Amino acid sequence: MDLSIAAFLTQDGVTNGAIYALLALALVLVFTVTRIIWIPSGEFVAYGTLTLAGLQLGKPPGTIGLLVGVAVVAAVVETIATARRGEWRRLPRRLAAWLGLPLAVAAIVWWAAPLSPPLPVQVALTLAAVTTLGPLLYRIVYQPIADASVLVLLIVSVALHFALTGLGLWFFGAEGSRTPAFTDASFQAGQLTFSAQALFVVAASAILIGALYLFFGRMLYGKALRATAVNRIGARLVGISPSFAGALTFALASLLCAFCGVLIGPITTVYYDSGFLISLKGFVGAIIGGLVSYPLAAAGAVLVGLLEAFSSFWASAFKEVIVFTLIIPVLLWRSLTTHHHEEDE
Amino acid sequence: MRPADDLRRGSPRMRFIDSGGRLAMLAFVVALLAIPIVAPPFWVTLGNYIGLYSIVALGLVLLTGVAGQTSFGQAAFVGLGAYTSAFLTTHYGASPWLSLPVGLALTLVVALALGFITLRMQGHYLPLATIAWGISLYFLFGNLEWLGGHTGMTGIPSLSLAGFDLKDERHFYVLIWAITLAALWATGNLLDSRPGRALRALKGGLEMAEAFGVDSARLKIIAFVYAALLACISGWLYAHLQRFINPTPFDLRQGIEYLFMAVVGGAGSVWGAIIGATLITVLKQMLQDVLPGILGRAGNFEIVVFGVLMIVLLQFARNGVWPFVARLLPPRKPAPVPDAPPLPTRERAHGVARPLLEVQRARKAFGGLVAVNDLTFDIRNGEILGLIGPNGAGKSTTFALISGAQPLTAGAILFRGESIGSREPYKIARLGIGRTFQHVRLLPQMSVLDNVALGAYLRGTAGVARSALRLDRDEEARTRAVAARQIARVGLGEHTFDDAGSLPLGKQRIVEIARALAADPSLLLLDEPAAGLRYLEKQALADLLRSLKREGMTILLVEHDMEFVMGLTDRLIVMDFGEKLAEGPPEAIQRDPRVLEAYLGGVA
Amino acid sequence: MKSRSLQAAFAAALFTMFAHAAMADITIGVTLSATGPAASLGIPEKNTIELLPATVGGEKIKWIVLDDGSDTTRAVTNTRKLISEDKVDVVIGSTVTPNSLAMVDVVAEAETPMISMAASARIVDPTNPKTKWVFKVPQNDSLMADAIAVHMKANGVKTLGYIGFNDAYGESWLAEIKRSAQTAGIKVVADEKYNRNDASVTGQVLKLVAANPDAILIGASGTPAATPQKELVARRYKGKIYQTHGVANPDFLRVCGADCNGTLLPIGPMLVYEQLPDSNPIKKVAGEYITKYEAKYGKDSRTTFGGHAWDPFMLLSKAVPEALKKAKPGTREFRAALRDALETTTVVGTHGVFVMSPQDHNGLDNRARVMIRIDNGKWVLAK
Repeated sequence: MDLSIAAFLTQDGVTNGAIYALLALALVLVFTVTRIIWIPSGEFVAYGTLTLAGLQLGKPPGTIGLLVGVAVVAAVVETIATARRGEWRRLPRRLAAWLGLPLAVAAIVWWAAPLSPPLPVQVALTLAAVTTLGPLLYRIVYQPIADASVLVLLIVSVALHFALTGLGLWFFGAEGSRTPAFTDASFQAGQLTFSAQALFVVAASAILIGALYLFFGRMLYGKALRATAVNRIGARLVGISPSFAGALTFALASLLCAFCGVLIGPITTVYYDSGFLISLKGFVGAIIGGLVSYPLAAAGAVLVGLLEAFSSFWASAFKEVIVFTLIIPVLLWRSLTTHHHEEDE
Repeated sequence: MRPADDLRRGSPRMRFIDSGGRLAMLAFVVALLAIPIVAPPFWVTLGNYIGLYSIVALGLVLLTGVAGQTSFGQAAFVGLGAYTSAFLTTHYGASPWLSLPVGLALTLVVALALGFITLRMQGHYLPLATIAWGISLYFLFGNLEWLGGHTGMTGIPSLSLAGFDLKDERHFYVLIWAITLAALWATGNLLDSRPGRALRALKGGLEMAEAFGVDSARLKIIAFVYAALLACISGWLYAHLQRFINPTPFDLRQGIEYLFMAVVGGAGSVWGAIIGATLITVLKQMLQDVLPGILGRAGNFEIVVFGVLMIVLLQFARNGVWPFVARLLPPRKPAPVPDAPPLPTRERAHGVARPLLEVQRARKAFGGLVAVNDLTFDIRNGEILGLIGPNGAGKSTTFALISGAQPLTAGAILFRGESIGSREPYKIARLGIGRTFQHVRLLPQMSVLDNVALGAYLRGTAGVARSALRLDRDEEARTRAVAARQIARVGLGEHTFDDAGSLPLGKQRIVEIARALAADPSLLLLDEPAAGLRYLEKQALADLLRSLKREGMTILLVEHDMEFVMGLTDRLIVMDFGEKLAEGPPEAIQRDPRVLEAYLGGVA
Repeated sequence: MKSRSLQAAFAAALFTMFAHAAMADITIGVTLSATGPAASLGIPEKNTIELLPATVGGEKIKWIVLDDGSDTTRAVTNTRKLISEDKVDVVIGSTVTPNSLAMVDVVAEAETPMISMAASARIVDPTNPKTKWVFKVPQNDSLMADAIAVHMKANGVKTLGYIGFNDAYGESWLAEIKRSAQTAGIKVVADEKYNRNDASVTGQVLKLVAANPDAILIGASGTPAATPQKELVARRYKGKIYQTHGVANPDFLRVCGADCNGTLLPIGPMLVYEQLPDSNPIKKVAGEYITKYEAKYGKDSRTTFGGHAWDPFMLLSKAVPEALKKAKPGTREFRAALRDALETTTVVGTHGVFVMSPQDHNGLDNRARVMIRIDNGKWVLAK
């Protein structure tokens, strides 16, 4: 291996690592607030790419069908909950949020799809559709069991992953898609070619890490979200609504994932089941960050990307074996150096 | 814990004592045997797979449900068992009955190695590590040509028993379910024994478990290896049932599904494994049959409907399906406590001049902060010593130093002349120091009896093998007798079989004392036992402590509650800023101006 | 008078109804991979099964179609169910090799004939008491690999690089191409593996390009096969690129786009049936099938995998009438007779002319393959 090959591989590793890093951020975000290990995050990425691909073909994507269905279920669930507590006056506002908003988004996407709007508009529509899906799914799947153990939440996440993957196959078919790049520009630096899209991905990851770090560390809403994760009852006592916190978190995380999907569409083919492996590698990154630290999670994800790139050069047949075996000592090191607080489950 | 909920939930132990349970068990076995005789042949097919999955799920109940170690990698061990046997029987013509022990031995080695590395990881690192080696092993299987690669290995012979070829599915069914029932029996025995209690204790917090002598690292590895061995057996059976293997049944997806089965069935009970395996297998088949008729053949909705059903199920049954089934069965009467001779007791140091515990210039620093500064005091035999002081005085740290939760920075602590500073908690427990916890650390879903029996852990010797084979009944009876006696001693006899979580806080604290007593200690360390108790509860507690003192127990009491302490203790040590401020009988301390200044900021 | 003739008519109708019921249906069970990694192969197969007729040899067919999700255990379970519960007369399936291999034992034990839609010759070779029950319709990978090797040799290729799936398909192709290349005097200088879902194949492609072979073969199926191709083009690889017949679907063309111009691959002739000479008997059969398929599923939606689901029926349409002469459907004798009949069937299918024999349960020859090239998003017969 010479220097140029090493350079190519590093570039490849960092780009892929940045993709995994975005997912790692979403996973850490969701976990720190809700204690949910959010495996379906990968499906949101795939939905992001494939929804955009569908819009590219001028067809309303299946995602909006799902959006409508889930919105209806959420409305029903909200109505039942409101009826139980007798808070009828709050019902119109709640329905507007849980039913009206998603229906509006779905309607706009459905109307706009055949008109083939320019790329930025399509991206915006995609982001809107997939982001709206997140809090809705939180409401109907997770909120009723928000104080269950981490294991049960994890199993529920797995079940949701099955459902979303199956729906993805139905909406988008078994074959994959690519989406057009924001820009086809590329830069030469010596022997290396950098595609602008790849740089975009890396830059976006870096910016988002910084933003999340600030949000959770410095801003009140962020701290409120963290407080909910540490102690739900305590958070409620000081006026933070855990369900609002959960919904907000899922909205942010879905936006992250959808954005990731839109970014990676041009550089790789995405399939209805691509999401799982991507989220798994993001999960590795998140774990390396101890499920609390954004910069470490991103670093861990980039490490995975680099390991992958280099081992696919050295021994492509055993790439997975190498990557996942080498992860174990890293996990061991992280586990030993983290002061572990025994959780009250 | 909401007490009412716990009362409604069934206790997850398995006992074969009462007739209701026996009848249900008999009905189950009869139904099992009836299937290959009267049911359609496809039921036998499904029954075989359910048996295979149940074996793996049983291991997961132990590992994940009880010991709290989430593992996604069991499918890899199934693969190890399957590939070992397949390779030996096809390439070397070995008999499958020989390849089974080889497979088990190989699995043992691999599980020990993986266990040593991954079980050190706490929290969320562990599941990811299991995913990691699950994926590694899958790709290893698939890329080794001599294992058939991804295409697989054909021509695996079937099993034959004493010349009789087990080719027919129905014969295999009998074998699979015989093994499944044996595994069920062994795992149930294990959970209902000394190691079982210790495993359950792991979920209650490592600090608590270690305080009673549980070597948590060793126990976790044992649970891990046990689960791996069960998975290996399942793999061996699979290889000879299907007579063809390739890597796909041993991938991560299947590993996830095994965990799924355990959790959905009810990961806290061995029956949960069987129920989970049955439910998921049958549900998938039913969806395959029924859905195309309803939703048309255009799409493949089985997995979507499956996922949705699972979500709904878990929303209504967080602990799985088993608790619901358990409620349908006749309620089990708990086994009466046997009248057995007590376990070997510790020799008492009566009338010995030397103080029981000596703290000599103990010092504990956390970085720059000195929490305990050259503290020196003694605890004399048979006295109740109180350790008090304002907030931040260093009482809790001192407590931690004596109980072994924190190591000393400098100085020494001697118990009966032996140095115990910086020893591990379980070693200190073994020497005869019992303790309670500031925040009650009981296992709420276990009965009071079992919680207290945990205290006697160090007085027993039954290991995993003995317990699984039910050879520990004698010692178990004696342990339970000891526990019952301690419960009676502290005055909670009527609650012996109640779930610990259903008791009010005051009684729970007393249960903790009973648990500490079950270890037959010479010295009892009580960490703010009166905190959060109502007046009458405090009275009861004080009465108990006095009666213990009359029986010769030495007690160190760390407390905030002045009134409680004044009337109860023989001597008081007052701490402030990590140092001993005053020492003496309660009346003297009450009048000591330095003490008053420390608490009230000046003479009143 | 009227009422009596009415009664007679009624009785006749009843008799016909019961007579029909007395005539047993032929039950055909199908297990294929409509979900999971092999979905892009299984879905066209499933779509094709939907188009197949409802009668054969004058008998009504009861079709039972099950999905095995590309999983061997499920394929085996499905097969057992089809045999023991649904009492099928013949099993068609599965889509992928490992599933089919696992099914062999089951069908042999139950003495039920099986027609596989999977690629590897191992499914039917060597002939033994088990495989005598098994037939397969796709061209053996060796047939296709030879086509590539022949073409390469004719075009002066001396060194070959390979990159394929890290699964049974990629594994099988690697073995076949190594063998064919050796026969043709071509050296395989690099072989790499990748996964369907991999985000990038940079490392593998860099290694291949560094070895600089005259030609590179990509052993993958469906749209994932485009990933290494696009990467090779991006790295400015100048040699010939070959693909396998696994890419013969329109989505591959869509995703690959301009990067696939000039790619060569061996394929069953059905894909380019319009370009075949009229004298070729395959043209008519393939034309019938594809017209039907595209009428329902859209223009240019044709795939070769769909053809693999049509060909079993072509075989059965010849074999069932033979078997009906000997026994009634639903009986052990019928299944044995069906097997015997299948073994001696000669029929034109969509992929080639099947000449089955006891030693050859695939029955295809060189007529079952042509080399095609991708030109501007279209499949074109290569000369």
